[in-house]
Amino acid sequence: MPLSLNYLVKRFIWIFLVVVGVVIFSYVAIIASPGDPAVKWAGNPRGPNASLAIELARRELGLDKPLHIQVLKFVSDVFTGNIGLSIAYKIPVFEVILRRLVATLELLFVTYLIAIPLGVFLGIESALHRGGKLDTLLQSLGTVLANTPTFWVGAWLFLSLILLGAYPYGRVDPKLATATGFHPITGFYLIDSLIEGNILVFANVLSKIVPPAIAIAIYPVGVLVRLTRALVSDTLLEDYIRASVAWGVRRSVIIWRYTLKAITPGLVQVIGLAFAYSLVDAMAVEYVVFGREGLGSLLVDSLNYSDFRIAIGLVIVVAVFYLLVNTLTDIIQALIDPKVRL
Amino acid sequence: MDAVLSNFMKLLKSSGLKLYQDLTKSTEKYIRRTRFKVGLTITLIVFVLALIGPWVVPYPDEGAGYVPPEASLREKKPPSLTFFFGTDTRGRDLFSRVIMGVRSAVIQIITVIMLSLAIGLVAGILAAYFKGVVEVVLNYLIELFISIPAVIIALVLRLALGPGLLTVITSLVVTWWSWYARVTYVYARSVMEMDYVTLARLSGLNPLKIMSRHVMRNVLTPVLVQAVTDMGSVLLEASTINFLGLGLPLNSPEWGVIMYEGLSVLEIAPWVSAFPGIFLLITALGFSLVGDTLREEMDPRLRRRWRLWF
Repeated sequence: MPLSLNYLVKRFIWIFLVVVGVVIFSYVAIIASPGDPAVKWAGNPRGPNASLAIELARRELGLDKPLHIQVLKFVSDVFTGNIGLSIAYKIPVFEVILRRLVATLELLFVTYLIAIPLGVFLGIESALHRGGKLDTLLQSLGTVLANTPTFWVGAWLFLSLILLGAYPYGRVDPKLATATGFHPITGFYLIDSLIEGNILVFANVLSKIVPPAIAIAIYPVGVLVRLTRALVSDTLLEDYIRASVAWGVRRSVIIWRYTLKAITPGLVQVIGLAFAYSLVDAMAVEYVVFGREGLGSLLVDSLNYSDFRIAIGLVIVVAVFYLLVNTLTDIIQALIDPKVRL
Repeated sequence: MDAVLSNFMKLLKSSGLKLYQDLTKSTEKYIRRTRFKVGLTITLIVFVLALIGPWVVPYPDEGAGYVPPEASLREKKPPSLTFFFGTDTRGRDLFSRVIMGVRSAVIQIITVIMLSLAIGLVAGILAAYFKGVVEVVLNYLIELFISIPAVIIALVLRLALGPGLLTVITSLVVTWWSWYARVTYVYARSVMEMDYVTLARLSGLNPLKIMSRHVMRNVLTPVLVQAVTDMGSVLLEASTINFLGLGLPLNSPEWGVIMYEGLSVLEIAPWVSAFPGIFLLITALGFSLVGDTLREEMDPRLRRRWRLWF
């Protein structure tokens, strides 16, 4: 077994400690900043009794206690999953965030279902034509794609689809959803519609999720084209590949079986990193451009309602997401790469 | 331009970096040179525009965000000879706004990279030099800040401080320093294994001197090259923050902000978001071309000649 319990325990204690740090940081950033949160909580009161209202709000938020007590209480609140009601939605913060997180994750999964095969395929083609025109073209394309602002491309994609008569706005057509009695179960609309056998809704959801996914896929494709080329070029120089060629193994087997297997650990590492980065791209594209509900819409709402509880909740959830993706990447790597032991 | 590249490489060599003989085929070398030239040209133009921007644009006031009274008559005009890039949603000259956006872009990039580099270098070297508690604590802090994306920190700071340049720069520095600290730490740890560092420690040299004279000097080059590569990413991230409305206020001459303003009129006036996007793409590309070439020159493994079997 390449994975030890010792490692897992250590890793999760480490994640726990980092999350505690994140919680303290975000709390202090909100509290220590100019602009009294108590005033906001009281709803920016004016008039003769304003100071009373602010004093009440201060007590309600626990701001009258010493800072270390506040921080301790807040940390324990976070780990019992209770940091209060969202100011904008009036329902518990984590509930709000988790529902949106699922929507964004669905988008990210579709993105990587497009990005990984495409990027790896183009990268391998590029490595096989190294030095040639196709290689130069693909590598330049990779560099350009990795530096393209995602939300910008998303906007053009949206515009061209509108001009073509499609309507990629939102997650699902609400009229169609009510007409066919579609009820989300898991929150992953693609899975939900399949479970219910609702093919119409499935097609609708798919047609709305693919355009933003293509926009977000731009960055990982650009990275993967270049990375795969480097990895494949290295692997093709190995002795066992030379031996396979000498043995007369078919070219397609060498490339698609031996080489692909050898580069997987390197790919996994970078895909894990890119996946975490794509979360930000998704947040910029999904709501502002494509009007999908998700972490991006939460970000904008939190801004419009000055909802600092959502903001803190987002910091925590996203940090946990990053840490978990990193851990998962390491674990997958240990499982598939015999050289890595954790 | 070749002279610039070779001078740069001499500079890198003299700073203690061991360079290997260039083994690559001439075409690959040619491509690399071209990439470097293109990247350097873009970067130079960007820096020049950042310096002289307000004096060369036709309408500097409108570029800075001022809406003149007569502007309402010429809203969303397509590109023409009077308005090279057309006019924006409130009738201002888009060309002036976009060109003056170069300056905000450069200010954001340079401030963020400089501050993050300074903090990251110090933290990384300290962590590698003082093992034990300092190392653990610094690694903890690095892990902490590397795992929160700048956009989310920008949201918190935006709620706390309000819109402005300070919000953008602080949120980016808060995450980017940890990246440089990690890169520095990885290089510095291998430098710490070197005999000359041991020798310096045994001879009782002041730790500060060891860190600055031996460790810092050997770590600086790869970290600086990394920083040049990252400048494009910093710009993209800053624009994302501004695009989402978490950074600079509306009407600022900043590409993310202009793109957001153009988003609602995408169908009627696509040029409003097209031009800032093109500038953003080209600027980010320029930095990354320069950085990549330097990195490949430094690391010969990346530019090995692929002589293969089929």
